[in-house]
Amino acid sequence: MLKTDNESRAALKAPAQVVSLCVNGEWSELAVKPRTTLIEAIRDLIGLTGTKASCESGTCGACTVLADGRPVLSCLTLAVECDGMEVRTVEGLAEGDKLNPLQEAFLDHGAVQCGFCTSGMLMSATALLERDPKPDREAINKALEGNLCRCTGYNGIVDALLAASGQPVKARTE
Amino acid sequence: MQNELKYVGKSLRRKDGPDKVTGRALYTQDVRLPNTLVGRILRSPHPHARIVRIDTSRARALPGVKAVITVEDTKGIKHGFVETPRYPADQEVLARGKVVHVGEEVAALAAVEALTAQRALELIEVEYEVLPAVFDPEEAMKPGAPEIHPSHPKAPRALANIGGTTETEWGDVERGFAESDYVREDRFECQLRTHGYLEPQVTLAHWENDKLNVWTSSMGGFVKRAKLAKVLDLPQSSVRIHKTYVGGTFGGKIDLYSHEYCACRLSMLTGRPVQITASREEIFSAYRHAQPLTLEIKTGVKRDGTLVAQRIRAINNAGGYRGSGVVVIFLAWGFTMIPYRIPNLKYEGFSVYTNYTVRAPQRGHGAPKVRFAIESQMDMIAEALGIDPITIRLRNARGSGEKLPNGDDTHRGDLRECIRVAAEKSGLLAKYGRDRKSPPKGTIRRGIGIGVSAYMGGTLIYPNGSAVIVKMNDDGSAIVLTGAIDIGQGSETVISQIVAEELGIGMDDVKITSSDTDTTPQDIGAWISGMTYVTGNAARQAAGNAREKLLQAAAEKLGVPAPELVAADKVISHRLNPEVRMTYREAIAHSVAKRRGDTIIGEGFWRTMRDEPAHPSLATTRGRWTENYAFSAQVAEVEVDIETGEARLVKALTVHDCGFPINPALVKGQVDGQVSMALGHAFMEEVLVKDGYTLNPNWLDYRMPTIHEMAESEDADVITEQYRVGQPYRTKEVGEGLISGILAAMGNAVYDATGVRLHSTPFSAEKILEGLRDLEYQKKKKLKKIEA
Repeated sequence: MLKTDNESRAALKAPAQVVSLCVNGEWSELAVKPRTTLIEAIRDLIGLTGTKASCESGTCGACTVLADGRPVLSCLTLAVECDGMEVRTVEGLAEGDKLNPLQEAFLDHGAVQCGFCTSGMLMSATALLERDPKPDREAINKALEGNLCRCTGYNGIVDALLAASGQPVKARTE
Repeated sequence: MQNELKYVGKSLRRKDGPDKVTGRALYTQDVRLPNTLVGRILRSPHPHARIVRIDTSRARALPGVKAVITVEDTKGIKHGFVETPRYPADQEVLARGKVVHVGEEVAALAAVEALTAQRALELIEVEYEVLPAVFDPEEAMKPGAPEIHPSHPKAPRALANIGGTTETEWGDVERGFAESDYVREDRFECQLRTHGYLEPQVTLAHWENDKLNVWTSSMGGFVKRAKLAKVLDLPQSSVRIHKTYVGGTFGGKIDLYSHEYCACRLSMLTGRPVQITASREEIFSAYRHAQPLTLEIKTGVKRDGTLVAQRIRAINNAGGYRGSGVVVIFLAWGFTMIPYRIPNLKYEGFSVYTNYTVRAPQRGHGAPKVRFAIESQMDMIAEALGIDPITIRLRNARGSGEKLPNGDDTHRGDLRECIRVAAEKSGLLAKYGRDRKSPPKGTIRRGIGIGVSAYMGGTLIYPNGSAVIVKMNDDGSAIVLTGAIDIGQGSETVISQIVAEELGIGMDDVKITSSDTDTTPQDIGAWISGMTYVTGNAARQAAGNAREKLLQAAAEKLGVPAPELVAADKVISHRLNPEVRMTYREAIAHSVAKRRGDTIIGEGFWRTMRDEPAHPSLATTRGRWTENYAFSAQVAEVEVDIETGEARLVKALTVHDCGFPINPALVKGQVDGQVSMALGHAFMEEVLVKDGYTLNPNWLDYRMPTIHEMAESEDADVITEQYRVGQPYRTKEVGEGLISGILAAMGNAVYDATGVRLHSTPFSAEKILEGLRDLEYQKKKKLKKIEA
C-alpha cells in the first residue's frame, strides 16, 4: 500500500507502457502502469473474471494462472513481467461447452463447492498433469500446497486428480 | 417406494458445477458497472476511545473524492444481529461518539480510483481520547471494570459489561450431586478462530431511479434487504439484492456489515455505483470472528456412568457490540441438552462486552466448544469409573421418540445407533489405550477417540418461512423461482432434484432463478441449517402443485379421472392403460386454451413448527427450537510425535443421521469440509490478538489446513427418514453439526495417544509437550515416593 502523498501521486502519474499478452490463445496489447498486476490486467483490462482475487498477497493460490506453462500467482506478478508471454486462465480449459477431463473429474468427485478456489486449483492441477500425467500423492500435495480450499477438505480435489490421471479412487461413503 | 426415485437420493452433479469450473460463475467481485467508484473505510486505531473531533474537509477537497460520510450523514438508525424487545438493536452503522474495538468503522468515502481513495482516507483527521480497554471477559465482568456499554438492565446488578444472559434449570442439581457416586468439575477454554472464507467481503451498490441495486457476498439476501432498508430508512421494495455466487461464508456473512451500508449510502449521495472490497488484512483485524467460550462444567454420575446432574456456566467473550453473543449463550445450552439425558441441569450463560471485534456465528455456532468440553469430561469420568468410552455414551445417549426438556421430540433420530455404528466401524474398543499400555518404538504415538454431537435443523428466525414458485414452459420444462442462495452447499442442485422428481421431468429440464429479492420469493437463507428441509419442502409443494394442475388439465382432455393418471418423463398416462396418454406440452396447451389461460404455475410455502409463534427465548430457553434433530458420532485417529509435540488427524469417521440424503455426494462434501475445519480448530488456527490488535492478519501467519493436512474422511449415513413423492419429508441438518463431535474426538484421541489431557484448544505442540513433561515429572515423583 502506498503511504505518502508524494508516493501515491508519483504512482498515479507513472507513465503507462504497452505489453503484449497472449491470453488463452488471443493476443492483446495493453497499456499498463508499472504497478499493474497480472490479475488486474486479466480481470480489469481484458475482462476475464474467472480468475479470482482472494487474499491479493500471494497466500491462497486462488489467482493462479499459467504463464508460459508455469503456475504463477497473478496477484504478485506484474503485468510488465509478462510481456510477450502466453497466459492461460480457467476460461481457456474447456473447448466451447465441452469440459476437459480434469473439469469433468472436478464435478464428478466433489472437488467444487463454493467455487472460489476452483479456478486457481484447476490451473495448478493442469500444470501438474502436463508435466506428470500420473502424479502420486506426494506430487499432488506438492503441486497444490499453495492453493487453499476451505470447503472440501481437499478430499474431493485429490480424488478428482487421481481420476483425471486414470488412477483408482477409493470409495469413502456407505 | 424409494427405489422408484429417479433424482432424489442420487449423487447427481452440481447444477452450478459447469459455471464454476469454467470461470463463468459470477461472484460479487465480478459484477462490473460503468463509472463505478471505489469505496474505502476509515477504521479506529484504538480498542476503546472517545471520538473528540472528526474533520473530513481535507479529504473532501481532494480531487477525485466524490463523497465522504461519518455517522452525522446517517439517519442514526441502529441494527443488531438480534433485534427483540429484550435485546433491541444496539449498533450504529458508523461509530458515534466512541469506538469500542480496533478497526471499528469511523468514516467512509468514495473516489474515482483506489489510490485517490487511499490518499483521502489519510487526510481525514480524527482526534481520539483514549479510554481504558478490557479484553478478558472475566475481568470485564468485575465491578469497576472499564465500561464498554452499560450492563443489560436484567443482568445481575453487580456485574459490569453484561450484554445478555441465558438462565435455565430443571430438576434439582444440588440434590443430584448429593445423590451422585462421582462428581467432577472442569474448566474448558477455546481460542479465537475465524471463518476463512476465500471470497473477501465485498459489496457493489448502485442507486438509480429511486432503486438501490445491491450485489453483496452474503448468506441470504432477504435478511440483508430487511436490515439495509431499515438503516437506510427505505421501503424494502426500494432495495434489491441481486444474485451472485458466494465464495464461502461459514457464518461470517450473515449480519449487516458497515461496508454494505456505506457502499449504499455513498452511491445514494453520488448517484454512481460504489464498490467496497475488504482487504484480507481488514477481514482478519476488523471483521467478525467466532466466539471464544469459556465453560465451567460440574457433572455428577452414578457408578455405572449414568448422568445425574450437570451445572454449566458459560462465559462468552462477545466483543464490542452485542452481535450474536447473546445467541451463542442460548445455543451453548441447546448443544448441551440434546445428545444426553440430564435429569437435573442448571445452566447460566453470560455474554460479556470486551474491546474485541464484534462476534459472528461460525459453523456450529458454539457447538464445537460445548461438545469439546462435555465429551472430554465424559472420557475423564469414564476412566475414573473404569468404564469404556462407548459404554458410558450408550448409557446416556438419547434414542428415538424421546421428549426433550424444551418440548421438542427426537422423532426417529437415535444417537445410540450412531454410537454403535461408529464403535463397530472404527474398532475403537480394540484400539483404545493400545499405545498408552505398550508404547511402540520411536516417537510416534497413535490414539483414537470418540465424540458425539447433535444439531437443530431450521428454526424460527426472520424471515421464518420459504416460498418457491415453479413455472411450466410450453415444452414441459420448468423454471424454478427460489430465494435460496447457493453458498457452495448445493441448494440449487437439491432444489432441482426435488422439482425434477415431483414433476417427472429431467434435471436439465429444470432451470433455476435464485436469490434475487425482487424476482424470487422470500427465503429463510443459508444460515440456520434448514434450507433443504424448509425451502426443499416448499419446492416439493410448488412442483406438486404444478403436477396436480397438469394432471387435471390432462384428465379433462383425456376424459378420465385425474387420480387414475400418472406423470413421468414429461408424459401423462393412464395407470392401467398406457395407450391413454398425452405429453406435458399438450396438457399445457390444453390448460392455456381451456382453463382460462392458466399456463400452470405451482406455488409452495413452508415454515418449520407451524404452531410455534417464534424462536425460543434467548434469556430463558423457553419455547420449541426445532423439529429436526440430527445426531452424530465421530471417531478420530491421531498421531502425535512425542519428541516435537506435533499432532495430526490421520483418519476421521463420521456416522450421522441426516434423515434422508437428497444428494449423498453433497452430504459427503459437507462431512469432509467440517472434518477439515475441525482439524484446523484442533491443531492449527488461532487469531492472535494483543491489546486489541491482530498480530497475524494473513494466511501465512494464521494457518488453515492445506492439502498436506488432509485427513482420510469416511462416513456412514444412518438413514432414519424416507422421501415419497407428494409427501412432506423430514431431512436433518448436515452443514454444521458435524464439526463438533470430531473436534472432541481429536482431543480424546490425543489423550489416548499420550496420556495428555488438554482443557483448551488448540492442541498445540507446546501444550502437548508441556503435558508430556508434566506426566514424566509425576511419574518420577511417584517413583521417588515408592523408593522412599
